[in-house]
Amino acid sequence: MARLYEEQYVWRLPVRIYHWINAICITILFPTGLYIASPIFSPSIGEAVWYHQMAWIRYIHFGTAFVFLANFLFRLYWALFGNDRYARFAGFQPWKPIWWGQPFKDQLASYLFIRKDEPNYCGHNPVAALTHFLFVFCGSIFMLMTGLAMYGETNTGGFIDTLFGWVMLVFGSTHAMHTMHHLVAWLFPVYLILHIYAVVRHDIVDRSSTTSSIITGYKHRVEECPEYAD
Amino acid sequence: MKKHETFADVISARGIERRDFIKYCSLIGTYLGLSAAMVPKIIFAMETKPRIPVIWLHGLECTCCSESFIRSAHPITADIVLNMISLDYDDTLSAAAGHQLEAVRKQIMKEYKGKYILAVEGNAPTKDNGVYCMIAGDSFTNVLKETAADAMAVIAWGSCASFGCVQNARPNPTGAQPVHKIIKNKPIVNVPGCPPIAEVMTGVIAHLLTFGKLPELDRLKRPKAFYGTRIHDQCTRRSFFDAGMFVESFADDGAQKGWCLYKMGCKGPTTFNSCAGIGWNEGVSYPIKSGHPCIGCSEPNFWDNGPFYTRLAEIPFVGTNSNADKIGMVAVGAAAAGMAAHAVGTVIKNKRSQAETTEKED
Ligand code: HEM
Ligand code: SF4
Repeated sequence: MARLYEEQYVWRLPVRIYHWINAICITILFPTGLYIASPIFSPSIGEAVWYHQMAWIRYIHFGTAFVFLANFLFRLYWALFGNDRYARFAGFQPWKPIWWGQPFKDQLASYLFIRKDEPNYCGHNPVAALTHFLFVFCGSIFMLMTGLAMYGETNTGGFIDTLFGWVMLVFGSTHAMHTMHHLVAWLFPVYLILHIYAVVRHDIVDRSSTTSSIITGYKHRVEECPEYAD
Repeated sequence: MKKHETFADVISARGIERRDFIKYCSLIGTYLGLSAAMVPKIIFAMETKPRIPVIWLHGLECTCCSESFIRSAHPITADIVLNMISLDYDDTLSAAAGHQLEAVRKQIMKEYKGKYILAVEGNAPTKDNGVYCMIAGDSFTNVLKETAADAMAVIAWGSCASFGCVQNARPNPTGAQPVHKIIKNKPIVNVPGCPPIAEVMTGVIAHLLTFGKLPELDRLKRPKAFYGTRIHDQCTRRSFFDAGMFVESFADDGAQKGWCLYKMGCKGPTTFNSCAGIGWNEGVSYPIKSGHPCIGCSEPNFWDNGPFYTRLAEIPFVGTNSNADKIGMVAVGAAAAGMAAHAVGTVIKNKRSQAETTEKED
């Protein structure tokens, strides 16, 4: 059976750049973070000052964290003020009951094999939007707030501490904040699994080039063309 | 009770030289981070201001704060600390006892209404009407409220009074609450530590005496001068931390060479205190310098952020032996398993719908 592919430009350049910077940052932040908590390599030859091994890992974690922050703010700006229908927050209104209506239910039912058909969306489907909101948006804000609060503690009363130091009060103590920064860090690999699986699966099921779309920007809508059926 | 005696009067009566007195004042000024120009102000205050009457209450506690307080480092401090203030009521140190002592407390509260300082060591169990700590026939919670009512300021000594310490560690069977949860309308300074450093304690009092008000406080109501820096940032072993050279067991080579105790559970990176600066026992040492990881005793909930000898804390409500990494790995495993199952589901679904379409076409 012949198929017609309709090309659709979905992910504009700022979104794609954001996506890959974010992916690279998290790929660096997660392992360096785990290493900070459990440093496994202990150099034991020569003088301490030669290595600065732990210092470097922390430096990379913090340096990447600030790129992550800038990238996040950039995406936030694009979501709020960018003229981009697929990247805007405008459509995402989970506080309104209507948002949880039929499209959301249909998509969820489809993922749960209750419905047979696979709804097709150009941008994010409602379930994906919700997952992104919880993992990427809330998760990043959590990591940024706790991370900056910890970072500021070296210089109490300084700029970062003044802005974010209060976050510690939410957890009761600095140590509890470290623990939660560490625990929530695991959201990212969990998300990575869900994300990659969902993308590849969509690509296979509806052949919409979801995987390559984050590089090229283009998705494809597939239509059966009965007139050419053999 | 002797009235309007100054601190200087008391120490000269004790035969302490003026030279030592000046030394002490400079030392306190330095600890408090004051400029040298302020030292004469401290001296002046000590010489002229009448000693502040202090009521020192003991709630649920172990008295380690008092023990620390009477061991201040400066040669003459054993005298100074006890004479700088007019410690009129302290049920642990007073000669008087029973009704006599309670009468003294009532008398100070009346005579020095709004002028005395309330120092609290320990905290108040609030469950079951406070029966878990009774003083002179009344619950400590009531005694605390009653005594705080007319105090000029409240000093919460130690981690118990400041944050709760072991008494309010989970599950907190007696409902123990730190002072600031019970006294709401008074200036309070928290001086945490289990115990706090003696010089920090006398420093806070010297500040109160000199300036007539509490020192500058941080978010957790701790004096910034003493709790503004993490131990980790002043630690003698920090170069080993940055290099990544860690003690792996108390018996290893690194332990002997004084490497960083991070992997032995050191809480220095999450603890604000002056141990690494002022030191303990006349500045001789502090736990990390002596080879033991910091347990974070001056931090809120430090008992619940254990275990002491591992870096990763247990996760509340998940249980002993849990930690962020174990939970995280289970979550990742569950996600991977879920996705694998879903993939199988998708394949089956596709097979079925293909079969259906072929059936239809047939
Ligand atoms: C995806 C984002 C991130 C991940 C996965 C991540 C992961 C981690 C992990 C696992 C730790 C070890 C926690 C511990 O047990 O003490 C850590 C520590 C830390 N992270 Fe992050 N982090 C992220 C983002 C950030 C950001 C945005 C900042 C902001 C500056 C930050 C600052 C810090 C700091 C200051 C520490 C403590 C380092 C130390 O105690 O030496 N992190 N991170
Ligand atoms: S011993 Fe503790 S406080 Fe000192 S550098 Fe190591 S981790 Fe930090």
